[in-house]
Amino acid sequence: MKTWLPRTYLTLVYILLYVPIVVLVVFSFNDARTGYDWGGLSLRWYEALFNNTAMVRAMWNSLWLALSAATVSTLIGALTALALHRYRFRGKRVLNGMLFVVMMSPEIVLAISLLALFLLVGLQLGYVSLLLAHVTFCLPFVVITVMARLSGFDESLPEAARDLGASDFIMTRTVLIPAIMPALLAGWLLGFTLSLDDVVVSTFVSGPSYEILPLRIYSMVRVGLKPEVNALGTLLLVFSLVMLMLSQWILIRSKR
Amino acid sequence: MHSIRQQPFKTAVLALVWGWLLFLVLAPNLLVVGASVMTRDPATFLSLPLNLDAYRQLFDPLYLDVFLHSLYMAAMTTLICLLIGYPFAWALSKVARQRQLLLIFLLIVPFWTNSLVRTYALKLILATNGLLNKALLSVGLIEEPLQMLYTEGAVIIGLVYLLLPFMILPLYSVFDDLRQELLLASHDLGAGRLATFVHVIVPLTLPGVLAGVMLVLLPAMGLFFVPDILGGSRNLLVGNVIKNQFLDARNWPFGAAASILLTLAMALLMFAHKLSKRRLGEEGA
Amino acid sequence: MKKLALAGLLAVSLTGCSSEEPKVLNLYNWSEYMPQEVLNRFQEETGIQVVYTTYDSNEAMYARLKLLDDSAAYDLAIPSTYYVSKMRQEELLMPIDRSKIEGFDNLDPELVNLDIDPGNQYSVPYLWGTTGLAVDTSDIEGEPVTAWEDLWDERFEGKVMLTNDMREVFHVGLRVLGYSGNSTNPEEIEAAYEKLTELMPSVRTFNSDAPRMPYLEGETDVGMIWNGEAVMGKDTMPSLEYVYPQEGIIAWLDSFVIPKNAKNPEAAHQFISFVLRPEISALISEEIGYATPNLAAREVLDDEVANNRASYPTAQDMLNAEFQTDIGDDALQIYAKYWEMLKSGR
Repeated sequence: MKTWLPRTYLTLVYILLYVPIVVLVVFSFNDARTGYDWGGLSLRWYEALFNNTAMVRAMWNSLWLALSAATVSTLIGALTALALHRYRFRGKRVLNGMLFVVMMSPEIVLAISLLALFLLVGLQLGYVSLLLAHVTFCLPFVVITVMARLSGFDESLPEAARDLGASDFIMTRTVLIPAIMPALLAGWLLGFTLSLDDVVVSTFVSGPSYEILPLRIYSMVRVGLKPEVNALGTLLLVFSLVMLMLSQWILIRSKR
Repeated sequence: MHSIRQQPFKTAVLALVWGWLLFLVLAPNLLVVGASVMTRDPATFLSLPLNLDAYRQLFDPLYLDVFLHSLYMAAMTTLICLLIGYPFAWALSKVARQRQLLLIFLLIVPFWTNSLVRTYALKLILATNGLLNKALLSVGLIEEPLQMLYTEGAVIIGLVYLLLPFMILPLYSVFDDLRQELLLASHDLGAGRLATFVHVIVPLTLPGVLAGVMLVLLPAMGLFFVPDILGGSRNLLVGNVIKNQFLDARNWPFGAAASILLTLAMALLMFAHKLSKRRLGEEGA
Repeated sequence: MKKLALAGLLAVSLTGCSSEEPKVLNLYNWSEYMPQEVLNRFQEETGIQVVYTTYDSNEAMYARLKLLDDSAAYDLAIPSTYYVSKMRQEELLMPIDRSKIEGFDNLDPELVNLDIDPGNQYSVPYLWGTTGLAVDTSDIEGEPVTAWEDLWDERFEGKVMLTNDMREVFHVGLRVLGYSGNSTNPEEIEAAYEKLTELMPSVRTFNSDAPRMPYLEGETDVGMIWNGEAVMGKDTMPSLEYVYPQEGIIAWLDSFVIPKNAKNPEAAHQFISFVLRPEISALISEEIGYATPNLAAREVLDDEVANNRASYPTAQDMLNAEFQTDIGDDALQIYAKYWEMLKSGR
């Protein structure tokens, strides 16, 4: 079979996928103001970015939100996955189905339903409303990730632990949690990026008291070409790459 | 059956997750259904008499046109993703194992970058003074810059770019499961390449296709920031209509009804996906 | 122990880091409608941090203020004239305590005590401006563009930009037909809609975030623009001209208002006084190109700005000008319906 054809095709698609990212990174070092022309190397946009206090504040807010949303959803998600894996209970299929529906739901549907809820119960739109919303859309992804790991898990270990008299809680803590650690990490990381990237849901459930990065970027790019956005995009890319590699490194280490 | 006392852990976990889902998923969605049958009220957003006006409004020729156009753009996006993604996933599944992991990693990296920023990068490329026009002008392929930004095409390109990995990943996983022996058997039985493709490969990869379609088509109707940035506040998606109804025009019943329309589309797709998997299961058994 | 730690983590992440917050003024404003320098100087002087969030239409501002009414999210907003009277009548605003405002007397007597808010009980004028024609003279050949009607010219196909503002776009349609831009007559509005649908194939994009950008980016050559945006745009692209159309320019006045449930009305009053200082008002007008209603500020204004016809029109320029007025909710609903039809038509 000819191998050059598929190979060329793969390469071509990868090039298309990466062209905008390369453009972004290259233009973040562009000295020119207008955006489309090349005006020499410069770090001025990075400087402008860090001098923009509103932007820096939004960055910290976003990081904190993503951190907490990922942590809470990993906690709840992992427990849910354990329950789904270990126990029989009434409504299990419904629970599974609901998680699947949340995962598939267009974000905008989730967004307006949560907005309606928060307004009804009188919750002030800000950090808490954002956190509740973000945990909700991250949750199914964590559950799936952990479930996948659990299904490949040797059943005899928890059995043995229970035979030795360990309670469910002890058994979970000493046997299960270490075993699913890589999945927890992967789920946490997924939640972290989903939260950091979300525009649609956050547009609806955020208030001025807690401005976050994607919304700040949104109002910037709507105004027009802003070279600061290139710089910010590059920083975000580097940040997530570091996170990804860190997690890979931890995973590889944990396997040894 | 164990009692609560015997399994406090199980009870606590189940209560937590059920509570979360009931309060933050089921209740809000019921609220949206409720809102869709109420009446628009300029002062309080919603008021009684219950009625189906909002649904009637969905079939108003004006909105029907917007929805059909949105559906058309989403369908085009899905089709292009499928056309690019299907051969891509196939080719990917044939690459050596070790390299496959790296390639998948590379496929996911863009997905880890902020999607707004990536959409914005497309603007740099598609603009009248943008890079693509500059490149085409300099090699002499065109004489006048092409108008690409703020068109329907730009919106579709943006959606394809953002959503392509969501088509490729499920397709890759079905191709990965596709057993070589089946293909060989089909070949041994005298089936030609085309026959093998039509009768063996296509049906076996159908669940992956449907999963991909689901993962692309639904967001392609909701990602309102793509038309905002690349479509010039025209070429609206259902997502833009919903957002405008809630955050601009304050017509909540109509926005809610439009969102239920999206939910129904999702239900339909999920049903098709389930059906295809079940049929495959029966044939396999 | 671990259980405790987990519970603690959960509690911390739920409450967030909201313990000690600096004094904050939540300003809700049009995008690029307040120089950063003004915010910095205000913070330096008072220690109050201004959180600036933006909107691109009066409708979006109004909807969000209503939505967040109870949670007292915003301390200060800047609606256009007709929304001032709408919000005042719907009791969404807090009366402004004149004793806490310094420099009110500096304001142009012609721009205070208007029908939209008699006695200025709820609003203090911030800036006024006009919406006219933008023409990129380097890209336009043939007859110069002098009237709104010219936008319908075939040579501009695919090169026209409109603001993303319902009232303004319909104002143009109505004026071209010879009606008032504040018409409440459904037949006239429908006629304007019909007229505007003929323009739609030429319209490339709607933009109210920064109407100068599509011209600077080379996407559009002619269309609507706010005068301040035209002034800012000319700095980077000298060929961008601001034209007063024959049918008459659209004029508007934007005013500070304090939402009824504002959390920090003290700071809001302080900020209004700060902006009313002649040197600050002058700085704002110089930076973003709109006209200040502050007569004391006009005294100290840079000559180049004061003589810029785009920012400060002559009596001649204002000949057929029409100020936007409140047209009532019923008429607004009619506009809204045709606006959606207009934007969704392809």
